[in-house]
Amino acid sequence: MKNIFLILFLFPLVFITAQTGILTGKVINEKGQPVFGASVLIVGTVRGASADENGNFEIKNLPEGTYSIQVSAISYERKTLNNILINESTKAITIILTEALIQTEQIIVSAGKYEQRVQDLTVSTAVLQPEVISKRNHLTFDDLLRYVPGVQMNLEQVSIRGSSGYSKGAGARVLVALNGLPMYSGDNGDIVWEMIPVADIERIEIIKGPASSLYGSTAIGGVINIITKSSVKKPITNFRSYFGVYDKPTYDVWDWNSSFRQFYGAELTHSNSYENLGYTFSFKKFDNDSYRQNDFTKRYLVYVKLNYDLTKENKLIFFANYLSMNRGNFLYWKDSRNALVPKDEDNGNIVKSNRIFTGLIYHHHFSDELTSEFKASYYRTKFTGYGLEVTTSTADLLRGEVLVNYKASNEFFITGGMEISHANVASNIFKNPTFFGGAGYAQAEYKGIPDLILTAGFRYDYIKINTTNGKNAVTPRAGLNYKFTNDLILRASVGTGFRAPTPSEVFTSTAIGGGVSVIENPNLTYETSFSFEVGMHYMMRDISLDAAFYQNEFKNFIEPNFTENGNDIQFINIPEARIQGLELVSDWNIIPSTLTFSIGYNYMWSRDIAKNKSMKYRPRNTVYTNLRVYPNQFELGIDFRYLSRTEEIDPLMLLIVVDGDMRVPIYVTDLMAGYNFFIMNVPAKVFINAKNIFNYNYTEFIGNLAPIRNYSLSFELFF
Amino acid sequence: MSKLLTLISVLGLTVLMISCDKGIEPVEGKSAFSGKIVFKGGWLAGIKRTHLVVFKEPIRSVNDFSAANLSFVLDSIPYGTKEFSYNSSDMQFSPIFSITPGSHKYIVVAQSKTPELTLIRADWTVVGVYCESGDQSKPKAMIINTGKTTANVNITVDFNNPPPQPPM
Repeated sequence: MKNIFLILFLFPLVFITAQTGILTGKVINEKGQPVFGASVLIVGTVRGASADENGNFEIKNLPEGTYSIQVSAISYERKTLNNILINESTKAITIILTEALIQTEQIIVSAGKYEQRVQDLTVSTAVLQPEVISKRNHLTFDDLLRYVPGVQMNLEQVSIRGSSGYSKGAGARVLVALNGLPMYSGDNGDIVWEMIPVADIERIEIIKGPASSLYGSTAIGGVINIITKSSVKKPITNFRSYFGVYDKPTYDVWDWNSSFRQFYGAELTHSNSYENLGYTFSFKKFDNDSYRQNDFTKRYLVYVKLNYDLTKENKLIFFANYLSMNRGNFLYWKDSRNALVPKDEDNGNIVKSNRIFTGLIYHHHFSDELTSEFKASYYRTKFTGYGLEVTTSTADLLRGEVLVNYKASNEFFITGGMEISHANVASNIFKNPTFFGGAGYAQAEYKGIPDLILTAGFRYDYIKINTTNGKNAVTPRAGLNYKFTNDLILRASVGTGFRAPTPSEVFTSTAIGGGVSVIENPNLTYETSFSFEVGMHYMMRDISLDAAFYQNEFKNFIEPNFTENGNDIQFINIPEARIQGLELVSDWNIIPSTLTFSIGYNYMWSRDIAKNKSMKYRPRNTVYTNLRVYPNQFELGIDFRYLSRTEEIDPLMLLIVVDGDMRVPIYVTDLMAGYNFFIMNVPAKVFINAKNIFNYNYTEFIGNLAPIRNYSLSFELFF
Repeated sequence: MSKLLTLISVLGLTVLMISCDKGIEPVEGKSAFSGKIVFKGGWLAGIKRTHLVVFKEPIRSVNDFSAANLSFVLDSIPYGTKEFSYNSSDMQFSPIFSITPGSHKYIVVAQSKTPELTLIRADWTVVGVYCESGDQSKPKAMIINTGKTTANVNITVDFNNPPPQPPM
């Protein structure tokens, strides 16, 4: 049986009298919305029904007796309800489906610029549902990524299969996009995770491998595409709040503050539609006192989205989000006896920032064979850092794209497009560069051979920063997907990628404390990669196994490095680097509808070829496990992750950070418990989370102790 | 199924076992630094004191030549020495100034013609600086880790080529 994960909650709510032998009811999701098309089957028979657009279903002429009912729907966890008694009274039941945590079957993804079934992809992909964010009470979106096999976080910097080390956010190698619109900033090229409107996420698609042939420079390590929800037919309001405290640190000497440090937040989201116009408004306030001194964050996010159906097929989507953030700038600990206290010279440093990201998507349906999309975005970022020096940067990034999908025949599908981007930066640390990028891409998919899908494509990019010569890059790619048996799918892909240095990598010129400065490198050139992956996906009745071997060869890999005098950090090109790895992911339905287990393992061998050393800040072994128990409306979960000790760091960083070489393997265990219920017929959730329950002390980056044990309580209402 | 339950049990036990490990812990113990000072050229007459002195921050004004900015003072180096190996843990001039973990950005060899140890800037002449690649105009920071000895804090004093003097 293919890999479907299970349902959380299913319980009868209302019992009403009806005719003998008729089972009626309603299928809704956790937010009270009807699940149109949900399949309701009487187990052991061929009897069943589908839920209508209001979620209602009816199965007539059932002989009296006790039955089991199985309910399933795409994107939701399947549930079997036992001991349903059918007698003279009809029992109308309300069935609540929970959106699936991770699914691989029948999920449609669009990270490849057109909609594909996930099992038809030629590269490793993970699809996540957003509910896990609220259940685990992840404070920011990046916390979620720490639990995805093959994805590693070094503080706020994401790396897929070792694509990035740590560079204080400068120059991402993973493209994060909202509805396909890239969210990197114009100066740092970084990702600000707080910008992501979590309350409006439909699903999260993660492509684990280079995607430059479709997305260009920033996607050399992979893509995280966040799809927002469609407009709703009926009004729905979601209120969520949470409150948490950090426990005392393990050692008294670390207890810099006698009180329990707190984090808290609240979010109100409302969606509705008026004739052809759907809208969503959201306001979120989320603060964190932090377990470390001068590491606080005070943030609020405002999000607006409008969906306008011009005709049945032609749609317009506009969204805007605005983030205001004021935070302490904790760079490194003072020393191991003061692990939660910053260095004296950094204490009191703060960063204030404002960001606005807007996007416009126009979908035009010419015919069933030909569709197009026009996408435009504007991203303005501004920050001011108050510290050793006052640093400031304002960047405006404009981007436009035209995308065409053409179904030439049932076997042949073509995607093509063009895009341009332009950035202006005004800064006292990045100079005042301007950036221009232009690109064209095309990809074809061929399904003419039974059980085989072939894809091939390429992208051409032209990139220019005003003070450097323009660069051209062509990135071809090919892949195949072969359904070997009903249970076994094989896949392979090969391609090239490239990445242009960001203005921050080329021009940054500032002191960062400890007598160390970052200096510019106008000679920094773009990096290229050659990658391939072979993988398989095997599905049995209640078990799935996904395995992949991958290799990435990089030329001119951009990494921060100390200069020979040891006093300055400069981004340089490493001539040659190689990352090879093996990834295994397996999901088990141990007791259907009650108990699931997932495990992921990644072995990664990264090498700086010239130095014959491991690349910096990349663990060789990582393990992720998740065990979930969800009897009735309760849910319990335990997550465990292990990352082996990073073999290499920048040794000259030890000249800045006292006791900076204190690295250990990472073992983190989290517990979660939740209860779904109704308050006056309004669906509600309460979740308790205990993170890092063993209070294990570790660092993801030099001199930065990761969050100590903390507890939180979250509450959510849908009305 | 039983194999999976065995696997989960093994993983559970592993989690419990590693829960005993607390990971990173504060390092205890005395911090120190060591190195060698080489003197080139002839010593000036009348020198009463020669000390290796560690400051937290570079001396940008006469106010920085203060006890607040002073991290450590080594025992006085005998007059006429050509080569002097030291370890701060054995040669601490005063318990008031103990080297602490952290970054110390100005390490010099300074001489005085006064018999007493004073904090009067005019009493002292800097004759050697811990620096990058022999360029005494670019002081090098010294990092002291907790409970560890930072080695190779070497300084060359060339009496014929004195370093830039801090502000008086």
